[in-house]
Amino acid sequence: MTETHLSRRSPRSHLRAVLAIARKDWLHFVRYPLNAVFRVVQPIMFLTPIYFLGRSFATPRGNTGFSAYAGTTDFMSFVLVGALLSNYVSAVFWGMGFSLKTEMDSGVLESNWLLPVPRPLFLIGQTMASLAITTLTGAGVLLLSWLLFGFRITGNLLPAVLVLVPMLVALYGFGFAFAGLVFLLRDANTLVDVSDYLVSLLSGSQFPVQVLPRYLLPVALAIPLTYGYDAVRGYLLGTRTLFPLDAELAILLVSMVLMVGLGYTIFRLVERHCRQLGTIGKH
Amino acid sequence: MMVRRTQSSGLARRSAASHLAALLAIARKEWIIFRRYPSWVMAFVIWPLLYPVGYIFSARALGGPHGSGLTVFNRLTGTSDYLSYIVVGSTMYMWLNFTLWDVGLHLRNEQMRGTLESNWLCPVWRISIMLGSSITKMLIGLFVLAVTFVEFRLVFGVSVVRGNPGLIALILLLVSASIYGIGLAFGSLVLRFQEANALVFLVRGLFMGFCGITYPLQILPSWMQGVAAVLPLTYAIHSIRAVTLSGASLAQIAPDLQWLAGFALVLPMLGYLAFAATERRARRTGSLGHY
Amino acid sequence: MEPLIQGTAIAPAERRMIAPAGAGNGLQAGEARAIVEVRDLRKIFRRKKPAADSSGWWHRLPITRRVSEEFVAVDTVSFDIHEGEIFGLLGPNGAGKTTTIRMLCTLLEPTSGTARINGYDVVKQSDAVRQNLGAVLTGERSIYWKLTGRENLSYFAALYHLPPDVAKRRVRELLERLELATRADEYVERYSSGMKQRIAIAKALLANPPVLLLDEPTIGLDPQSARTLRALISEIKDEGRTILLTTHYMEEADQLCDRIGIVDAGRIIALDTPANLKRSITQLDIVQLDVEGFDPALMGALQGLPTVQHALARYDEDGGAWSVTLQTTDSRAVLPAVIERVGRSATIRNVNIAQPTLEDVFISLTGKGLRD
Repeated sequence: MTETHLSRRSPRSHLRAVLAIARKDWLHFVRYPLNAVFRVVQPIMFLTPIYFLGRSFATPRGNTGFSAYAGTTDFMSFVLVGALLSNYVSAVFWGMGFSLKTEMDSGVLESNWLLPVPRPLFLIGQTMASLAITTLTGAGVLLLSWLLFGFRITGNLLPAVLVLVPMLVALYGFGFAFAGLVFLLRDANTLVDVSDYLVSLLSGSQFPVQVLPRYLLPVALAIPLTYGYDAVRGYLLGTRTLFPLDAELAILLVSMVLMVGLGYTIFRLVERHCRQLGTIGKH
Repeated sequence: MMVRRTQSSGLARRSAASHLAALLAIARKEWIIFRRYPSWVMAFVIWPLLYPVGYIFSARALGGPHGSGLTVFNRLTGTSDYLSYIVVGSTMYMWLNFTLWDVGLHLRNEQMRGTLESNWLCPVWRISIMLGSSITKMLIGLFVLAVTFVEFRLVFGVSVVRGNPGLIALILLLVSASIYGIGLAFGSLVLRFQEANALVFLVRGLFMGFCGITYPLQILPSWMQGVAAVLPLTYAIHSIRAVTLSGASLAQIAPDLQWLAGFALVLPMLGYLAFAATERRARRTGSLGHY
Repeated sequence: MEPLIQGTAIAPAERRMIAPAGAGNGLQAGEARAIVEVRDLRKIFRRKKPAADSSGWWHRLPITRRVSEEFVAVDTVSFDIHEGEIFGLLGPNGAGKTTTIRMLCTLLEPTSGTARINGYDVVKQSDAVRQNLGAVLTGERSIYWKLTGRENLSYFAALYHLPPDVAKRRVRELLERLELATRADEYVERYSSGMKQRIAIAKALLANPPVLLLDEPTIGLDPQSARTLRALISEIKDEGRTILLTTHYMEEADQLCDRIGIVDAGRIIALDTPANLKRSITQLDIVQLDVEGFDPALMGALQGLPTVQHALARYDEDGGAWSVTLQTTDSRAVLPAVIERVGRSATIRNVNIAQPTLEDVFISLTGKGLRD
């Protein structure tokens, strides 16, 4: 058989493909500027009532009642770290969650799946773009928050950032699985909305999980994200953590491996389902 | 030259009764459509309970394990019952939110669905289209409110609604009129500018940040208090809290009621003006059928 | 016709083996290589039937639907496509053309049977198949509207594993060739339908594939754009590429294809060159009437007239009249009876004894029209 086509597969060409996918997502982000502004301003909007709630409990020495739980009187900094990490959680639930479905609805998914590229690569490219974009909007939120609400780091930045790595890898690994689930459902909006909120809530984005009622605390402790929030706060703000920091880091590393495995497996199953049934005419 | 008018052989006969029938038909249509989307029902039973939970647990954390932080809160608000305090605020906000989404976006949704044009072709008062859907949505909204209070009773064991039910009903009635007016104006703006997301976001941000849903107004800087003073929800939340948490009487909430009554008169009128202007413009530019 | 890329087109010696378009003769077996081989391809969908409308909404949830039904979309289809020809699958909507093409593209797995593209199995060697294949399936929706034409092509070129210098050159060439160079840096959402379709074709040609699959390429296009596109498809074939296209437009199949497979209800019911297919029904006369105020209830009576094999009526909205077509073995004998029956209750504007078209072939085989 004569090979007359120009396609030349190599490790470098696969890397180029991943970067092209990430670049495509980045271009879509910057071409909807209103959406970008929205992603920075909306968190501020949600933080405002929390800020004033905190103020209505504040003594001249800060939130002393709060410090008995968390180990710091700086309630707002505690909440802000939570908000920054929740930014990533939302990006995974909404962005990664709908990554397959949006492409299918607009017609481009099949175009992409016709290409000689392993399909998980698309999710990897989208993950890269999502991380970059969310970090950028997060920086914007941080800046505005610092101006409006005040934000103070009393601990170390570097270990906090390092601990973020396994947490984010686990989160996006979960995103692969979630993308498959959303893709199969006809109307996923409510599910995504409620899941995003519940997961953020129960992993302690707004308050230390110790204040949860006794029957909910096990659920919170079973979510790997909880240890991510806890450890980052521990390093950045010197708060009292649930478990020793290296134990929490170990939990995050294990969950990272598990989530990536789970995500990949579920995505492959969904992909096989599509090969059997086709992707059009499902809705 | 005399123009002879052909006797109409069509079947349409307009009268007050037929207008009312049309209104009810629209209301019924909205109910049927609503019922066929089960996910919405989930959202209305679950979200009213979920939304304030974040604030409630944050407040619990702020109060401290022995309630030491509550003294400040008590001093500012007159109560230590932060749960009821927050739930009143958050529920009113969710009610506004829901009304804004549905009443306000109704016109745009119909335009996108393509049914706006067919509706406007019918010889019905234009306002009936809005009214008809609004009746259904208001009723659903009130139902959601009731469900919320029941849920909080069951889950947290707290009776959020105490105090004079008549006063509460009065407050809700007055604020409904205001919210309806806002919804009408909002819907007209959305139809005119075709950019729903930004407008929804703006309005929600305003009400979320300035109306005291989770905090007493005294805590706000003075410029924010100034903004809060021109938002109807502020007075609704304030007066309902007074009635349900402190057992206030009619006389005690009179100042709030005066403001609410004023809003209840002005806002629906503004809303109707916006609606009429939009309708005129739509007829002129033929934009009813646009996506 | 110059090859699109020097040194990578199919060599002239090989090309001579391929019969030129419109030769009118079916290819002899073994004369040209079969670059696409389909053997006993079958696709069965298993669907859960939705409950009847009167039952409660809970029965319509995916997990509670009870009845399962089987739907045979493609029923044991076999054919070969020879290198350098345009092969058409002609049939009405729902005949299984799109399903077949999706199986060849590796997007859908067959229930049974095999298919090979350029020697590679579509199930077991799908990546190699995708390297040898360019496809345009959903047309203007298959590209990113918020990217420019150039950005779209650069993106897909990278995903075809084209080395960067080759990619750049290819993008430039294709933009020129498809007359999109002047608007290459505008967002695709601003392109006309025809332009969007051309970008989609450019995308399919990026890796210089030997085989091109086109699913209903001219659907939704205005007549001028459709004409331009068909000319383009001919040019692409002249470069030595093999094309499989599906369509329900008879004129398109007739004009473009070297050979046609007529598809209905998941089966190929006839396969030959357009000329041969039309020749197969020359024993039939095609009587065509333009009628105003025709009553479709008459169809039964017309079908029952002696020598009438098939009868079909279609309402033409543009002209406001009915077009009644009869296939008969003896038009001269039956024409007076037809005119009398129809003219009793309607006005006949025109009577025509027509040459058989491909649609007539379809009607004679199935009793239905292509656009029913």
